[in-house]
Amino acid sequence: MRRAASLLFATLAFVIGGVAVERIGLAADQPKSKQQAKKEQLKKFKAKQAARQKAKQAAKRRAEAEDEKASAAKPVEPPKRATPNPSPAAAVAQMIDEHIDRKLAEAKVPAGPAASDDEFLRRAYLDLTGVIPTAAKTRAFLDSTDPQKRAKLIDELLASETYGKHQADLWVPKLFPRDSANRFVLREPLAKWFADQFNADTRWDKLVYDLVTASGTVADNPAVTYYLANRSVDKLTDTVTQHFLGVQLQCAQCHNHPFNAWKQTEYWGMAAFFSKVQPQNPRNPNRGGDAMQVGVRELPVKSRLRNFFPDSAKDVPPKFLGGPEPKLASREPYRPELAEWMTGPRNPYFARAMVNRTWGQLFGRGFVNPIEDMGEGAIASHPELLDALTREFVKSGFDVKHLTRCICASQAYQRTSKPSGSEADPALFARMAVKVMTPEQLFDSLGRVTGFDRQMERARARAPKRPNAPTPRDQFVQFYLAGAEQAHPTEYEGGIPQALKLMNSRIVGNPAAVRSIAPPGTKPAEAFEAIYLAALSRRPTGEEVTRLKEYAAKAGTPNEAYGDILWVVLNSSEFTAVR
Amino acid sequence: MFRSEKTRRDFLRLSAAGVGTVSLSGWLKVLAGHTASEGSSPSARKHKSCILLWMDGGPSHKDTFDLKPDSKGAGDFKPISTSALGVQISEHLPQLAKRMHHGVLVRGMSTPEGAHPRAKYNLHTGYREGQGGLVYPSLGAIVSAEIGDPKAAVPNFVSIGNRSFGSGFLGPKHQPLIVTTPSRGVEDLKAAVTDRQFANRLGLLDQMEKAFYHEYRAGAAVDHKTTYERAVGLMKSKEAKAFDLSREPSAAKEKYGSGRFAEGVLMARRLVEVGVPFVEVTLGGWDTHQDNFARVKSLSGQVDAATAALLDDLKDRGLLDSTLVVWMGEFGRTPGINPTGGRDHFPVAWSTVLAGAGVKGGQAVGKTAEDGMTVADHPVSVVDFLATVFSAVGVDPSKENNTPEGRPIVLVKGGTVIKELVG
Repeated sequence: MRRAASLLFATLAFVIGGVAVERIGLAADQPKSKQQAKKEQLKKFKAKQAARQKAKQAAKRRAEAEDEKASAAKPVEPPKRATPNPSPAAAVAQMIDEHIDRKLAEAKVPAGPAASDDEFLRRAYLDLTGVIPTAAKTRAFLDSTDPQKRAKLIDELLASETYGKHQADLWVPKLFPRDSANRFVLREPLAKWFADQFNADTRWDKLVYDLVTASGTVADNPAVTYYLANRSVDKLTDTVTQHFLGVQLQCAQCHNHPFNAWKQTEYWGMAAFFSKVQPQNPRNPNRGGDAMQVGVRELPVKSRLRNFFPDSAKDVPPKFLGGPEPKLASREPYRPELAEWMTGPRNPYFARAMVNRTWGQLFGRGFVNPIEDMGEGAIASHPELLDALTREFVKSGFDVKHLTRCICASQAYQRTSKPSGSEADPALFARMAVKVMTPEQLFDSLGRVTGFDRQMERARARAPKRPNAPTPRDQFVQFYLAGAEQAHPTEYEGGIPQALKLMNSRIVGNPAAVRSIAPPGTKPAEAFEAIYLAALSRRPTGEEVTRLKEYAAKAGTPNEAYGDILWVVLNSSEFTAVR
Repeated sequence: MFRSEKTRRDFLRLSAAGVGTVSLSGWLKVLAGHTASEGSSPSARKHKSCILLWMDGGPSHKDTFDLKPDSKGAGDFKPISTSALGVQISEHLPQLAKRMHHGVLVRGMSTPEGAHPRAKYNLHTGYREGQGGLVYPSLGAIVSAEIGDPKAAVPNFVSIGNRSFGSGFLGPKHQPLIVTTPSRGVEDLKAAVTDRQFANRLGLLDQMEKAFYHEYRAGAAVDHKTTYERAVGLMKSKEAKAFDLSREPSAAKEKYGSGRFAEGVLMARRLVEVGVPFVEVTLGGWDTHQDNFARVKSLSGQVDAATAALLDDLKDRGLLDSTLVVWMGEFGRTPGINPTGGRDHFPVAWSTVLAGAGVKGGQAVGKTAEDGMTVADHPVSVVDFLATVFSAVGVDPSKENNTPEGRPIVLVKGGTVIKELVG
């Protein structure tokens, strides 16, 4: 019913003063007695409507053909990039530790001890691949006597497919707002594009250049999804400056920023680079629209997309943030100019923003916080180290895996998250922060232990599915985020509904999961170890074994006891912690 | 300036957690007593409550609370007199008509959004979707944050019948507890194992949490524990019985009518009785692009029975003076009739209704032109309306909240409280 109604709405809708309002008072006064007259009227109305539609489409085709002709000019050459020249990871790690240790010494705070193997293993897995290790992997790592095993693990995880998937989980929510305007825009192709780029270790300057200059259809170039999901100059300006340059410009959209020097003209100067982008409106897949064939072009003229320019928009020439106005011919594309300036080795924001973000992902806090607010007045906890890592990142050819490898190899990253003595300022990095799993990490990790995600996927494969229907993982994530875009890295943000779901739904209370971890007949001590290795990535302590034995002795059957213990472990704060 | 605010808060909390020893023995107490009645009883409660009856799809003002029998596209519905002097409403709302002395009609609603999702967002949050790159909290989440009891057994925002709009930048603590089908109660509220086994599990979990906290002293572990305590508290609380409609005498139930909406409104009353400050109940089907009159008649019947019963019950229990009942959708509908016998979206002029919580009942504020096409007197914007709702439940609409990034966001930006309504 509602679908039929919205279909009708779509055909009847037109615009009064920028507000979509439906056709008002159409044939308002119908003669009630004359059925025939009513039918006639409807027929006439439909014919008129169809004719109008046809004329509109023809006009649109003409305009598009014109643009096509104009934009078929020479393709833009991508910028020349310097050959990568990374320093050895161990040397960079040492440099990191010198800086961190100097600050600790100045503050007279002792550095915490190194992380145990189990802490390191679980942390590296969650930070680099977004999921906990399997029990078998944990056992092998803990039992290995190879002195290089930590460095080898970092390399192994950076080379795994899940590395890119995890990075996509972190990036897509920043660039793809979950709002009603995007309900027919596909999220999946962008997620896959990011995963592939990160797995291929595409240079960060190239990745962002490709994203900012993206044209074509989703099928040809999934990066255009960024434009399809942000169909106005202000959204594009906000996301680009915030996520790639680490500068919060939004406030300058409507007024000069009260706390720093950003002026409205800076904002609209940046926005002007996007002024000729023409993303197509999404097509409803439930009505046969092919969302893969929707695309983005840069026109030789201002974009014609409705609502692409907000009312507050100021018409100013393109101007780099805090920089000059480039000389641009109005028919030349603007985006390559912007992308080249943004991702250039001398851009004051670009590399720094990525270094701060990468550090923040791994440590739960950046050198500058909030992570994406590095503009004027921002104070870095370790300014020299931030500068040095930025130089190394540029020198390495904007190599994100290299940067990550260097940081993970440092003693600072490999410290325990247990506090020793009194609590020091977390900005000193005397110990690793205890982070909290993101909803994606929680879903994947619960799935690794219990296999519930595969059950849900199977059920979904059997059920008839609407195009663009959310996956079980997507639903779980939405349920956890409850409208927020992304979770806070070090805070437990679940509410009562989330706790109820974990305690009482079949996600955790799945008898098959217990049987696969500790099959009937498993001796108690072995079962406890198997459960702890599978869920907590460690062996139980002697004290814990004693406690669990006491518990099992009182429970009904051994299997019931193992089920209880798995339930307890999965509902514990330790499970959701990235320690 | 507020750049360091978040850091400082983290730091203080962690320091406090490190220095003091946080008690982690809540659950066992909860289980031993078997009732966690931290929710306040009606007599003891200090805050007001709000029940939002959300008319999903957008009802027509001309077919409900602002009839124009002599205008084009009026249809057959007759206006009838009500217990409020000079106020007439639809003949299909006869029981409400008898209780109109409690209610206020806001007949000058005039709002900017004409598409469902954006209009729903706007009416729930007071902001336009996507504005300033933020996700804004909905009415219920704001009320939860402002006047909800953080320790209450039942969450401070319950949404019945749909997903509603969440807590946005206020975070998951204020997101709604969602009841999809009232007769089935809350999802996952019952343990999958026996009480005894569940208690044993919690005992073991408690030991584990203590050990983990002792070792890592993570602030997140404290929040995790608090949330689990609240969830277990809800499972075991007497307040949770408010979700169980089988406990309601059948005569009392019948007054509300039948169907999900009737059950949802009944549940809302039960929840307000145990102190829940915000309950949203959705009635869908108002998007009457075709066959408007038959559908509106049937929907009016549902609204009439359930809302009249709700007002009576709240009054009998002494709760009407502290409970605001809001009736609204996302926009109105065209005064004219389209060729398929329906009305289309129309945000230019429409009606909402308020009752209880001390609003001055028995009046209509504002009016539309004779044809119902425009507001002729006292136009009310989204922010004016929301400012009025917040004031009526005792929340200051000019209060500012900080986003996690430290941006100050005012609850309602620039609205004026409708003076005729509020004390």
